[in-house]
Amino acid sequence: MLDDLLNRRFFLGSAAAVGAGMVGALPAVSTGKAFAQAAAPAAPKGPQYLKYPGKNDQLVLLGDRPLVAETPENLLDDDTTPTEKLFVRNNGQIPEEVKDPDQWKFVIDGEVKNKVEMTLGELKSKFKPVTRRIVLECGGNGRSFFSPETRGNQWTNGGVGCPEWTGVRLADVLKIAGVKPSAVFTGHYGSDPHLSGDAGKQAISRGVPIKKLMDENNLLVWALNGQPLPNIHGGPLRLIIPGWPGSVSAKWLTRIWVRDRYHDGQGMGQFSYRVAVKPMVPGDKADEKNFRDLESMPVRSIITSPANGAKIAAGTKDIKLRGAAWAGDLTVKLVEVSTDFGATWTKAKLQAPKNKYDWQRWTSVVKLPSDGYYEIWTRGIDSRGVAQPHIAGSWNPQGYGGNQMHRVAVLVG
Amino acid sequence: MRRAWLAISGTALVVLVTSIVQQLHAQTQQPGFVQREEAPEEFPSGAGRDETFYACTACHGFQLVAQQGMNRRQWDESVALMSQKHNMPPLDDKDRETILNYLETSFPPRAAPRGGWKNPFTNR
Repeated sequence: MLDDLLNRRFFLGSAAAVGAGMVGALPAVSTGKAFAQAAAPAAPKGPQYLKYPGKNDQLVLLGDRPLVAETPENLLDDDTTPTEKLFVRNNGQIPEEVKDPDQWKFVIDGEVKNKVEMTLGELKSKFKPVTRRIVLECGGNGRSFFSPETRGNQWTNGGVGCPEWTGVRLADVLKIAGVKPSAVFTGHYGSDPHLSGDAGKQAISRGVPIKKLMDENNLLVWALNGQPLPNIHGGPLRLIIPGWPGSVSAKWLTRIWVRDRYHDGQGMGQFSYRVAVKPMVPGDKADEKNFRDLESMPVRSIITSPANGAKIAAGTKDIKLRGAAWAGDLTVKLVEVSTDFGATWTKAKLQAPKNKYDWQRWTSVVKLPSDGYYEIWTRGIDSRGVAQPHIAGSWNPQGYGGNQMHRVAVLVG
Repeated sequence: MRRAWLAISGTALVVLVTSIVQQLHAQTQQPGFVQREEAPEEFPSGAGRDETFYACTACHGFQLVAQQGMNRRQWDESVALMSQKHNMPPLDDKDRETILNYLETSFPPRAAPRGGWKNPFTNR
């Protein structure tokens, strides 16, 4: 197989040249140009940034294919995350933008009394729309904090955002469908093609237990911050299942399959979105039987101002802090800040969420005794009294649940 | 394999090459977005680099690989996962050895904490 791949490389190079001479142009082969070049372009140095229409150019690119970009903490300083700053997570290819969103069709089938087949236009006209500010967070947020390293995109804290979503309650549509007592779990499907291009494979297809499916906060969403849901964020129609790994909130939604058993779609089972039941030695070979699905995301507090690396005028004693905190299915009871590496803590002023599953903004002012180098640390404590740890513990091979305290370094003077 | 391809006549050749390239880079075009084309030379040199690069980038960017650091067993598990779940053709022993040698050497676990938090004031 590898010989073929290498041959393909050289072959494409020469064939492109032959093709160009033969038919004048071979535009489709232009993507193969890099193969033909003797000297490769220099590797980009340092962090790379996303360049995508409508997106902020300070989002950090984690990968081009699939396209993945995170939002640095200091870019999450808005109470409501603007669309341009919302992180980008794809598992497959990005489908082509549809021309007539209202003709978009989706299905709810399986263990339901009445199969629902509806266009987005019908959905909009038949149900009462609601707008909610809801946290969307990648299941792997914080993965880069694990040691030893774990498999997958190395998110810091930036796989998260809290914009306003408009849609209808999934529960309202499920009333029409009539979920049968035999229902156990769902499987969600989107139109994004698998990276390999295999039409028979899903890019990702995850689901939730029926209890979570029936949560009245789940939405079928067509608008983001008051505008039609952009293609890159799953438009024209996506699911929002708040509090759980973002991958259950299927983008480009085509189908919710209500199943009589645990879902076996792409991204379910083994170590995908799963954490160890019995704690394992970090880095050890994992035993699949010892794993369970990650459900609610863990508590996390971030400092959104000042930015990590901020230089502050000499003589400044009071540092104003702003931040945000959230805790999956729970609320945040307390946010604390420290300027002495966690030796002592001060309570921040914490706002209530606008609605369930909103994040909670917080502010604080810390006093510094002198100029110099300081680190500002924060930790959230959820409504059950569980705080963020100093390090990402509970190691698992694909790095879920890494919610260690956030810290920023500042230099005064 | 290569010889067989070269035996194919002109037009058919172009069609074939076009379709292969489209398969290799099956991304739909997003208006205004140009996906950066990676080349193996951007990544640490070493035996097996090109083989590894092309095996992985048939589906996904190599940056996804290069941002991780794992031991040989973990890389082996990653490669196995790609075959089990993501359509990667299973590797024979020789190819597997080549790829794992490169990954183990070039992208080992990084000892010090990295990624998430870096002191912005050190090494100024």
